[in-house]
Amino acid sequence: MRRRDFIALAGGAVIWPHMARGQQPTQQPKKVYRIFWVSTESRPDPFLDGFREGLRERGYVEGKDVVFELHYAAGDPGALRQVISELKGGNIDLAVSSGPATRAMTAVTDVPVLFALSGDPVELGVVKSMAQPGGNFTGSSFLSLELAGKRVELLKDIFPKLRTLAVISNTNHPGEQSEWRTTRQAAQALGMDPVYVPFFGTREIDKAIEQAGNAHADAMLVFPDAVTMVHRTKLAEFAIARKWPSMFGWSEYCEAGGLLSYGANQRATYFWLATYADRILRGEKPANLPVERPTRFELTVNLKTAKALGVESAMSSILFRASKVIE
Amino acid sequence: MSGLLRNDRYSDKVISPVVRQRRSLFLKYFVTLFVAVVVPLVIGAAGEAWFGYRDQRLNLNELLQADARSAADRIQTFIDGIGDQIGWVVQFPWIAGEEDSHKIDAERLLQQVPAIVSITLVDQSGIERAFVSRFGLNRTGRGADMAADPAVLGARTNKIWYGPLSYRRASEPYMTIAVAGNRAADGIAIADINLKLIWDVIASIAIGHTGRAFVVDDSGRLIAHPDISRVLRGDAGSADLNRLKSAIAAAKGAAVVTTGDKGEPVVAVSVRADNVGWTVIAEQPVSEAFASIRATLWRSLALIVVGALVAAALAYWLAHRMSGPIRQLEDGVQRIGAGHFEHRIAMSSGDELEQLANRFNEMAEELAVSKEKSERINRLKRFLAPQVAELVEQSDARMLDGQRREIVAVFGDLRDFTAFAARAEPDVLMTVLSEYYEAVGAVVTRHEATLTGFGGDGVMVLVNAPVACENPALRGVRLAIDMQAAVQGLVTGWRAKGHAIGFGVGIAMGPAIVGTVGYEGRIDYTAVGNVVNLASRLCGTAKDTQILLDPVVATRVKDSVALAPLGVRPIRGYDRPLQIFAVARGDFHLIRQDGRPTDAGVARLEAGRQLQDSEGAWP
Repeated sequence: MRRRDFIALAGGAVIWPHMARGQQPTQQPKKVYRIFWVSTESRPDPFLDGFREGLRERGYVEGKDVVFELHYAAGDPGALRQVISELKGGNIDLAVSSGPATRAMTAVTDVPVLFALSGDPVELGVVKSMAQPGGNFTGSSFLSLELAGKRVELLKDIFPKLRTLAVISNTNHPGEQSEWRTTRQAAQALGMDPVYVPFFGTREIDKAIEQAGNAHADAMLVFPDAVTMVHRTKLAEFAIARKWPSMFGWSEYCEAGGLLSYGANQRATYFWLATYADRILRGEKPANLPVERPTRFELTVNLKTAKALGVESAMSSILFRASKVIE
Repeated sequence: MSGLLRNDRYSDKVISPVVRQRRSLFLKYFVTLFVAVVVPLVIGAAGEAWFGYRDQRLNLNELLQADARSAADRIQTFIDGIGDQIGWVVQFPWIAGEEDSHKIDAERLLQQVPAIVSITLVDQSGIERAFVSRFGLNRTGRGADMAADPAVLGARTNKIWYGPLSYRRASEPYMTIAVAGNRAADGIAIADINLKLIWDVIASIAIGHTGRAFVVDDSGRLIAHPDISRVLRGDAGSADLNRLKSAIAAAKGAAVVTTGDKGEPVVAVSVRADNVGWTVIAEQPVSEAFASIRATLWRSLALIVVGALVAAALAYWLAHRMSGPIRQLEDGVQRIGAGHFEHRIAMSSGDELEQLANRFNEMAEELAVSKEKSERINRLKRFLAPQVAELVEQSDARMLDGQRREIVAVFGDLRDFTAFAARAEPDVLMTVLSEYYEAVGAVVTRHEATLTGFGGDGVMVLVNAPVACENPALRGVRLAIDMQAAVQGLVTGWRAKGHAIGFGVGIAMGPAIVGTVGYEGRIDYTAVGNVVNLASRLCGTAKDTQILLDPVVATRVKDSVALAPLGVRPIRGYDRPLQIFAVARGDFHLIRQDGRPTDAGVARLEAGRQLQDSEGAWP
């Protein structure tokens, strides 16, 4: 009987996306896993919520099967270093790094690390290839770079008369330079003049907004990033105040008042990340778990904002392509 | 039964191996009964298991085939669905200035079909007219010449063309589908498909509870698998999968037992999705696939075990029931054999064994009777001639009881024995007595008379008791004559040795009471009455070689035997003197007192000779 149970369990593990729901995550006598959460964002953290939800879905009960150790170092590389040394010393089963924190995590070699990156993990050097990560890192890449040009194109599709585009970018974000390069090239190809508004971390966000205000732009593009995510409402309201159509990376920005967003669903990505966390806690090696890339991208439109900007008619041409419309 | 008989024979002869033999009988019964029940049971159960296994194996094959077929159908439907959707964007011909409407159609298609990553629209002459993508920048207007592109060529020939599988960044599976419009003027749509999206389809296919289906292309590269991370590893495992695919294909549709990727044994079948040229492999862990078969086998085994236990109990009980009474019988026979004839075998099995026990009991009873009888004969033989004893035993034992009857008493007595005994050495005395007894005994036996006993030199013989005979008087006289002759033969020898011993005989006839007297271990047959005393007195009176008769005997034998009247003589213990006779001396045959034969005696003698010849007892 025990053997049969074991086989059922093993079989269940193979097709776990369907079967594992509600099952006890582990057959071993009650081990409480310790998950180390490292983020350069600040709380409230929607990504952590998505990840937790994913683990709950896999049957983990927080406090009973799993405990989180949350470490936030919003824009402070020094603080992050401190966190890393803590990680090395502690008895940690899994580390999850969100966004730019991954860059600092490269020093960790003996604990499995799950990442959610907007950039390219191969370029960052944490994995050997997407198919075979080969080390202690694996996770998800948001494909941000490829979508950068697409966001510019969408804006131009809706507002063909756009000439100057303010591009707000946190330079303290891995791959930020390539993102800006792609954006600039797309804008120029579409006959637009991009105005680069760089800033470094949370401290400079207000300065960046002020700077953008002086850019004489007629639309605004904000790179998706932890800092802009935290300050999304401020950014969205700024665009509305300036009567600028705005384009963001994730639908959370639209929910906060942004006009448009195009990109992968962040929450879904972190939710999915929990399945990898489950497999790693069950003993699979990150080296053999390919880096996942999102397959579904959502175009979100906020019609309230469109109304506020008086661009409803222009928006109607894009609505059939929208995945999500906020009214 | 032969075992039983052999056993009995052994138990008669040897005692020590009996115990072992007895156990082996039990064992034989036990084994035979057990085997008789268990063998058919095992054959039945094994047969059922085997046929069950065969049926279930066939069922399993069909079931897996059906699952794989349905999985292949769903994959095919998924791909066909994408092809159909692509067909929507090649319904209108390319007219100058209407590129935008084609582009919007393409954007709608992207919105509609998440698996399509980008679409290239090519006009009649193979020129790219629009490109719409989820990631890259869109393009419209005349672009590259794609007339020689295999997608364009394939779609022109077959209406729809499926490109080969490729992995983006060696990880995500992609393929190209090109669809041509009904009219050449409608152009061709070339769509890039992200095959990761088949996951929804493949993951929803259940093969049993724990089985799964996955899709590989012709070279074994993984296209779709419920575990998406396996697909994302690119063609890393394609060699293994190709081997698996060939192994399954070699079985020509039959289910193959092979090793799954976790090292566990699985049963697998494959079905081809013909439109795209993919192979759908459905596999199920052996543990699940054969669960019902295993359950059947366990059931059969349990049946056998329970059956065997019941059979063992039954066989034990029966064997015990068979061998128990036999042991009891054997024990009883042994005791009877040892002489315990009073032993009875108590058995109430109600069958042949009980009957056998009853026979044994009867036998024991008869043995007891026969033993008692032989003991009695032995006792009779002490004073009866053996043949008389047999006769008495055969006719009626009550013959020996006390009764009054007419008897002839013969007394014999050695003359001058007392004087001889006083002088003789003991061994000489005993020799003389032994010779004397032997001679007398032989004569008594010959004449079937009854020897009541010796008393020193005296002997008492009865005739007509306990067995009646014809003419007892004559018989008694002849016995006396023989006895006298036999003893006189001895006397001659004794005298030669210097022993002055003679022998006299007295015979009387009359009523007396005869019967057995004595106590345990010592029983004698005797007669009591005047006739005994008379015979004794006559014997005492008789001189050596003389045979004295009382008047009764004399009257009875006077025609057969020559007698000499000795006149009236007083007899001690008798009031009146009696007429006494003596058998004529010499050969005693009709001899006158002067020694010559009488006239009548000649004829008598003649008759006596004839009698002698016919009876052979006349000396």
